[in-house]
Amino acid sequence: MQVRKVLTSLTFRYIARYLTVLCATVFILLACLYAYFSYTYFDELSESIVEEVETIQIIYRGQSLKGVNQYIEDQLSTPATSRYYYLVTDSQGRKVAGDLSASPSYIEFSEGWVGFSAALLQLGKPVEVDFLARPATLDDGNQIIVARYYADAFEKANLVFSSLSRAMVATLLLGVIGGFFSASATLNRVEHLNMELSRIIRGNPGQRLNMEQEKGYVRELAVIMNDMLDQMESLMQGVRRVSDNIAHDLRTPLTRIRNNLSQLRADSLAESSSRNVEQIIAECDDLLETFNALLRISALEAGSRISGNNEVDIGAVLHDVVELYEPLAQQKGIVIGIDAPAQHNCRGDADLIFQMFANLIDNAVKYSAENGIIEVRMRTLPDQVHSIIIADSGPGIPAADRKNVFRRFFRIQSSRSETPGHGLGLSLVRAIAQYHQGSVELGSNNPGLQVRVKLPGTTLSHSVTS
Amino acid sequence: MLGELNNYWVKMNILLVEDDLSVGDFVATELIAAGHACCHKTNGEDGLREARSTFYDVLVIDRMLPLIDGLTLLKTLRNAGITTPALVLSALGEVDDRVQGLKSGADDYLVKPFSMAELIARLEVLHRRSSSPSNAAQTTLSVADLRMDLLSQKVWRDGKLLNLQPREYKLLEYMMRQAGQVVTRAMLLEHVWGYHFDPQTNVIDVHVSRLRQKIDKDFETPLLTTIRGAGYRLGPA
Repeated sequence: MQVRKVLTSLTFRYIARYLTVLCATVFILLACLYAYFSYTYFDELSESIVEEVETIQIIYRGQSLKGVNQYIEDQLSTPATSRYYYLVTDSQGRKVAGDLSASPSYIEFSEGWVGFSAALLQLGKPVEVDFLARPATLDDGNQIIVARYYADAFEKANLVFSSLSRAMVATLLLGVIGGFFSASATLNRVEHLNMELSRIIRGNPGQRLNMEQEKGYVRELAVIMNDMLDQMESLMQGVRRVSDNIAHDLRTPLTRIRNNLSQLRADSLAESSSRNVEQIIAECDDLLETFNALLRISALEAGSRISGNNEVDIGAVLHDVVELYEPLAQQKGIVIGIDAPAQHNCRGDADLIFQMFANLIDNAVKYSAENGIIEVRMRTLPDQVHSIIIADSGPGIPAADRKNVFRRFFRIQSSRSETPGHGLGLSLVRAIAQYHQGSVELGSNNPGLQVRVKLPGTTLSHSVTS
Repeated sequence: MLGELNNYWVKMNILLVEDDLSVGDFVATELIAAGHACCHKTNGEDGLREARSTFYDVLVIDRMLPLIDGLTLLKTLRNAGITTPALVLSALGEVDDRVQGLKSGADDYLVKPFSMAELIARLEVLHRRSSSPSNAAQTTLSVADLRMDLLSQKVWRDGKLLNLQPREYKLLEYMMRQAGQVVTRAMLLEHVWGYHFDPQTNVIDVHVSRLRQKIDKDFETPLLTTIRGAGYRLGPA
């Protein structure tokens, strides 16, 4: 839904809002101008009519009806739309002179003004038009009406008005289309930034956004994000360093305790206490192993050296792991099926890759029920990435926990008490996968757990990131 | 450690060359606590001088050292005709350099972090191998009444032929070569399966107990014993 995304984007909404405000403002301005011009037009019109009435009155006073008739006839030569029309009636309302038909139906306006419509011969055909008129009483009681046609002014105004509104609609349309494209361009840049950022956060927090391609505020955003990544990384390193130091420093006293205990056991102890001491030694060993695993994960995560890496035949490693775990699986009646062709290589460290698959198969055996089935499959995807799937028939991992299980010491509540382990196995798996520029994902095997490990094949160029 | 190894325990004179003080002090202290003598040097030059001037039973050398790196140090020693067995320590991620390390004259390789039990077991194996030179042309191995013919790949106990799977045979062969020594699970994985890694569960124990079934079940004296917290030992108790 790219269109929908653009339409709901901030930039597009901003542009649309801006356009609406702009159009409304222009519209109001036009309306004001229209009102102003029509007001001045009518002002001038009425003034000229008053003057004309006065002129007629003067002529009537001096030359009586005959003079007026002469005057009106003189006016006929000017164009029909821009001249005055006259009607002189006697006191009974009968037409005496003028070119208007007798007594049309008037509409009374204020201050002695009247208006009416009458048919006017224009270009040979009668057109119903509006007139503004002013009646006046002449000296001898006769009535005079001077009228002027004003619809042409309206027409012109309407023409201007409609063309302006059309222009405005066009502006609005073009603006929306332009806004759509500029919003989608912005969105693309932001989306690109989003993708980069999420890739960095998911993958290698040591990477930074490329600011060279960005301009303007996107660049500023990239700078800020890079600063945030810097801070995040240093915080993460700080936390890691603290936990590493703890693990490192506690190893010394713990080993000493362990050695003292084994010295104690060697001295002649009673059978029961000797068993207790053995128990404690085993627990010390567990703890030491946990510390070592923790340090190992940190070393891998911090490690950018892939120096001296070799070609590793993933298929062969998988067969070796399965061979190693087969007796353990057989004890629970579990069958391990393997479908992994040899000669599918990746660059890396065979021991680490072995460790990774061993941890996964170890988990699969540990969590599978008796007489379960474990399947190991390897495929090569079109982009030279090897995809290894290890699927079991155990209880699986709830979708909500699938991300968390990679965290150090995270264990699903249900497995905390039931199965042994220090909660570092999958952390190590992920550290190894990422060390080899690969990834690991968990999914459902309906039922059971499906682990998908992806490792880049050897034809892929290896970019070592620092 | 002293008790576990009882009569097989021998005091070793160890030279440790490690620049990381926290690791170095830890290892040195633990070696001394385990009853060995340990001299700790923190750079390649001092280490080389010390190894040349004094006799040691085994050397523990870190791969990355200031002044002279671990592998160069080792090569120099070997060129000078000093054949003291040496174990090289390396950080994780340099694991691939194992081959290079072994070419430079290292006898064993251990990746940090490691457990002291692992280090000590390996040092003891190295020391014993050097102090009782094995016959290269050996064709049979024997431990108590267990006998292995390396040419026909057959094993007898008390004159009775045992039926071993190829992997069990390799496992037994390695343990017979290290008879009387503690071998750790990591050492077994390394030599029998060819991988350096830390199993999370008792996967090795299953293999060993299968082997034990075959070599000890019908006989009175058990030969394969589990050493808690360390590994296994093959040999009469």
